[in-house]
Amino acid sequence: MKKFKWLAIVMAFGLLASACGDSGSSNDNAADTSTTAAATTAAPVDQTQGGDLTFYMITHSDDGPFWSVVKRGAEAAASNLGVKLVWQGSNNDPEKQVQDIEAAVSAGASGIAASLPSPDALVPPLQAAVAAGIPVITLNSGVNDYETIGALTHVGQTEIIAGEGAGKRFNDAGAKVLLCGTQEQSNVGLEERCKGAENTFNGKVITQFMGGDADQASQQATINATLAADPSIDAFLGTGPVIAMSGLRAAQDLGRTLAIGGFDITPEIIDAIEAGDVSFTVDQQQYLQGYMPVLLLYLNVTNQNTLGGGLPILTGPGFVTPDNAAAVKALVAAGTR
Amino acid sequence: MTAPTLEIENISKFYGNINALQDITTSVDAGKVTCVLGDNGAGKSTFIKILAGAHKQSEGTIRMDGEEVNFNSPRDALAKGIATVYQDLAMVPLMSVWRNFFLGAEPTKSFGPFKWIDVDTAKRVAKEEMAKMGIDIRDTEQPVGTLSGGERQSVAIARAAYFGAKVLILDEPTSALGVKQSGVVLKYIVAARQRGLAVIFITHNPHHAWPVGDRFMILNRGRSLGNFAKDEITRDELVTMMAGGAELEELTHELESA
Amino acid sequence: MSDENSTAVADATSDERLAYRGVFQRLLVRPEIGAIIGAIAIWIFFWAVSVPFGTAGGASNILDLSATLGIMAVAVSMLMIGGEFDLSSGAATGALGIATILLVKDTGALGGAGLNMSIAIPLSLALALFIGWFNGTMVERTSLPSFIVTLGTFFILKGAKLGISKLVVDQIQVGRIDEGAGYSFWRKIFASEWQRNDHQFGSRDFFYTLGIVGGFALLVLAVHEYNYARRKVLNNAGAALTAVAFAGGIAGIVILHATDNTGGNYLGGIVIAVSTLVGLFGFGWWRFEPVAQRGNLHIDQQVSKSFGLGLGLVALGAISAVTLDSASSSDFFLLITEQGLRAMLFVGLTSAGITFMIIGVRQASTTNPLTKSTGLAVLATTIAAIAFLVRSESASPKFRGAAFSLLLVGALLALSWAVTSSCFEERRFAHTAADNTGRLLALVGSLMVLGGAVVRLLFTTAAEIERGISPAKFSVRIVWFLSVAGVATWVLGRTKFGSWTFAVGGNKDAARQVGVPAARTKTQLFMIVSSAAWLVGLLLAFRLNTLQSGTGDGLEFEYIIAAVVGGTMLTGGYGSAFGGAIGAVIMAISKAGIPFSGWNSDWRFVFLGGILLLAVIANNFIRDKAEASR
Repeated sequence: MKKFKWLAIVMAFGLLASACGDSGSSNDNAADTSTTAAATTAAPVDQTQGGDLTFYMITHSDDGPFWSVVKRGAEAAASNLGVKLVWQGSNNDPEKQVQDIEAAVSAGASGIAASLPSPDALVPPLQAAVAAGIPVITLNSGVNDYETIGALTHVGQTEIIAGEGAGKRFNDAGAKVLLCGTQEQSNVGLEERCKGAENTFNGKVITQFMGGDADQASQQATINATLAADPSIDAFLGTGPVIAMSGLRAAQDLGRTLAIGGFDITPEIIDAIEAGDVSFTVDQQQYLQGYMPVLLLYLNVTNQNTLGGGLPILTGPGFVTPDNAAAVKALVAAGTR
Repeated sequence: MTAPTLEIENISKFYGNINALQDITTSVDAGKVTCVLGDNGAGKSTFIKILAGAHKQSEGTIRMDGEEVNFNSPRDALAKGIATVYQDLAMVPLMSVWRNFFLGAEPTKSFGPFKWIDVDTAKRVAKEEMAKMGIDIRDTEQPVGTLSGGERQSVAIARAAYFGAKVLILDEPTSALGVKQSGVVLKYIVAARQRGLAVIFITHNPHHAWPVGDRFMILNRGRSLGNFAKDEITRDELVTMMAGGAELEELTHELESA
Repeated sequence: MSDENSTAVADATSDERLAYRGVFQRLLVRPEIGAIIGAIAIWIFFWAVSVPFGTAGGASNILDLSATLGIMAVAVSMLMIGGEFDLSSGAATGALGIATILLVKDTGALGGAGLNMSIAIPLSLALALFIGWFNGTMVERTSLPSFIVTLGTFFILKGAKLGISKLVVDQIQVGRIDEGAGYSFWRKIFASEWQRNDHQFGSRDFFYTLGIVGGFALLVLAVHEYNYARRKVLNNAGAALTAVAFAGGIAGIVILHATDNTGGNYLGGIVIAVSTLVGLFGFGWWRFEPVAQRGNLHIDQQVSKSFGLGLGLVALGAISAVTLDSASSSDFFLLITEQGLRAMLFVGLTSAGITFMIIGVRQASTTNPLTKSTGLAVLATTIAAIAFLVRSESASPKFRGAAFSLLLVGALLALSWAVTSSCFEERRFAHTAADNTGRLLALVGSLMVLGGAVVRLLFTTAAEIERGISPAKFSVRIVWFLSVAGVATWVLGRTKFGSWTFAVGGNKDAARQVGVPAARTKTQLFMIVSSAAWLVGLLLAFRLNTLQSGTGDGLEFEYIIAAVVGGTMLTGGYGSAFGGAIGAVIMAISKAGIPFSGWNSDWRFVFLGGILLLAVIANNFIRDKAEASR
């Protein structure tokens, strides 16, 4: 194994021949899984109960670390329930997602779970699926449109509520002035995280763009400057894991002790939480976003159950804090957090 | 009598079945100027390229100081003492006079593994050499682009002379210049001749060639119309030959009768 | 400016057209001069608007931001002078950092090669050189534009970073370089830091003042040497006068230090001002030819236009300072407080006004010495008036103290220049001895000013710490930045390789013609850029410990912009490495200034874009002016 990896490093960095592995390969993967269907599930599928059910999970997955956890959740649910799962990731291509949904309908899917990154394109085909009598659940994104579609429910996290959870945490820490730093400008999700914090936080919230993750040195220096300009800031919320770490470094450079929170999980931020330098990070618990839709579709098809009473089912905010960091770290390594 | 510095005997150049040059013979002595005259397409550029080492002649021999030579590349020709000054390619306009003067052959000082340009020497030599051409450059830091066209040519000529060229080939140095600037360049050609260089001056203008030339060779459609010493030809004959001679007379006749 | 005069002189002495260029024209043709002026102007602007910006903490922040950007900008400037671009340079920084981490990472759960850093770091340098060699060779062999070739390399590196990271560690982050063997040694080289609050220096301000005052005095004398024609025989009475004035100046400084009341301060200031004027006059009288023809006051349309515009703008600035509320901290318009707006308007309008008046002085100098010195006197009066307005209108000690005295010094300089320019004959020809003296004085003067500024920025005093200024942390990356900028400047200016770089960028065919190995030079330039990317990658890896796979993607445009802001031409053949460094500093100041001022970051890119456009336009303007006047 070691030899193989070593060879790969040399090949891609050195010979540059094998290097186009990024966008090219993910499409291949998607095509792969769509044909081999549930065969990708690691555990053998128990065909004794519900074996004739085939659920389609059609998302804008890029097979990155986030979506691979969703996929594991969905596969685990299918394996536990003994149903077939067809996983299709479009790598942020709405066109392909529409085609996949239409194909699933004509293939006679027992149920469809879909993410809605671009509602305008995806609502009509999903409405057609509902009209054809196929139960639909939206996941991850689509909280504003699942009712229009006539979906059973939505499984995901709303950014506002996640931000509100973070704001409460800072209240508990006794902070007065919170700096909410974003790593992208005009990204609605990130702005909503800060807005949510503003809704629940008792003190003043300053929202600022700090520069992108591609240039962490600059991000850190910008946070450093903002903190230096306003000595009253005593808490920092980064709307991503990388910017949260930049905030930590900036505060350490200035010799200031801030309450620091972040969003999403990386090994780096979990280490910092374990060490007590970062108070928490907000976790979407995306494993649930894969697991729950499959379970709910199964219960709906086999038992006509619905869950949530028409309201969305929130998978977050879960929090990683010094108390559970060690446990979460192990789960991250196992690929379920 | 010693052999001429550069002697060209029965040179021909064929590209496939096209005869670009045929049976060209001329020579140039140290301290003399041979003018090669010809209209566009007469074969001047082929002639230059052969002498500069960019092309090889198909037939004929080139001798330097009586010994036969073959040029494999422009660098080879340069090393054997033939420097070519092209009109457009002479200089880097945004660089200073002294940097242009020494470009590619900078004098260096060194300390241990470190080597750097000996700027003071370079500036001083550039100034001195330009002075020998009759130009007083006070500030050799001045970019060459701010010099006039004639002065730019002179920097190239002075450079060629300094780096030990025996034969200097000038490709149409006056063609893009005004009357006054052309006069300046002709002065530099005379200066180069007085320093003992053998100069081959390529031009289409007999009025520029006549005052400085010691020998004239007229090219027309790849053939030589003659190779004259200055006392073998008059200025008017030269002008007439260049202007097309018999062909022009015929044309005049035709136009008048029309 | 002085086109007619200079040609006239040239015609009189020889038949060619090379005229003598004065010290200012020489200075103006340096490619980086526009950037230096721009950097100082933007710095002053933010210094005026933000409280913590001018402290050592602000300086450390800017330098930290400049460092990685600057190292790349210097290398990219060299490549651009050589006429090529490298769009893979940004992605290469991340790729080489990640490659190093993967090489040192121990095997185990997360994989890696597990090499000792002393092997891995040279190995990743070799990889960097290979990337540069590949870029250069591809560009040279295919004759395709480097824009296209390196765009390909960019995508390859970007993809490789992601692909390899996920393949080897199944993450888009590659981390824990601190687990590698030999970390503690290499950390010292790439990530040492000094907390400057530990380095208190009681007499800091004394050395700072000495450096600045002494340095500027020498610079003024240097300008005199460059600018005026030497006497054949020195006039000793002038020397005596200078000595007397020098003693007077020292007395003035003593008065200023010994007394602490307003009256004493003014007395000290007046004594210093008078002795400076007398001293400079004495110096000139001692060494320079008296002016031959002073002429009559002659104000042409151009001059009156410039001065009218200048005075108008200054007046407008003054009015806005008086009318707007200095204490209001309420939000005025989208991004700033009324207080901030007032500072912006005042600083912006008055500096624009003064700029126009300086242009007017330059225009006046073409007519005759008397007109020029009258213009300078008006300028001096205006600056003094602004100084007293600042003092009466401002509450902050920064303006009442530092800005006030700085402006008064500026007024004094203008006034003394007015005196000398009406008394002594300007030199319009080269004089080797005088030029050498001038160069020596200017060198020592600049070093003293620089030394003073460095002392001020690097050390803190006990009083400042008591006031609770934010601490400054200087990282070794700044040392790397300065070394790279210094070495690159030396290489470009003083080595064969540097000359060849300018030549292949300026006229490749001509360079080839005279035997410059063009292909090799260009390939080496690409290798310099990728080596710089290697250095930056390591600086990032040791600072952050963990690198994202997207690190550096897209930053190549920032490097190119910094190079252009620093005066390097996009078409090649012209520019400087030092300019690239200054360009990076300008970008850093603009980036850091906004959070330091507490402005709304939504407008950050609008501001950044404005600054960059201004910098480039100013650059072009100055270059055109300089080229027109030669």
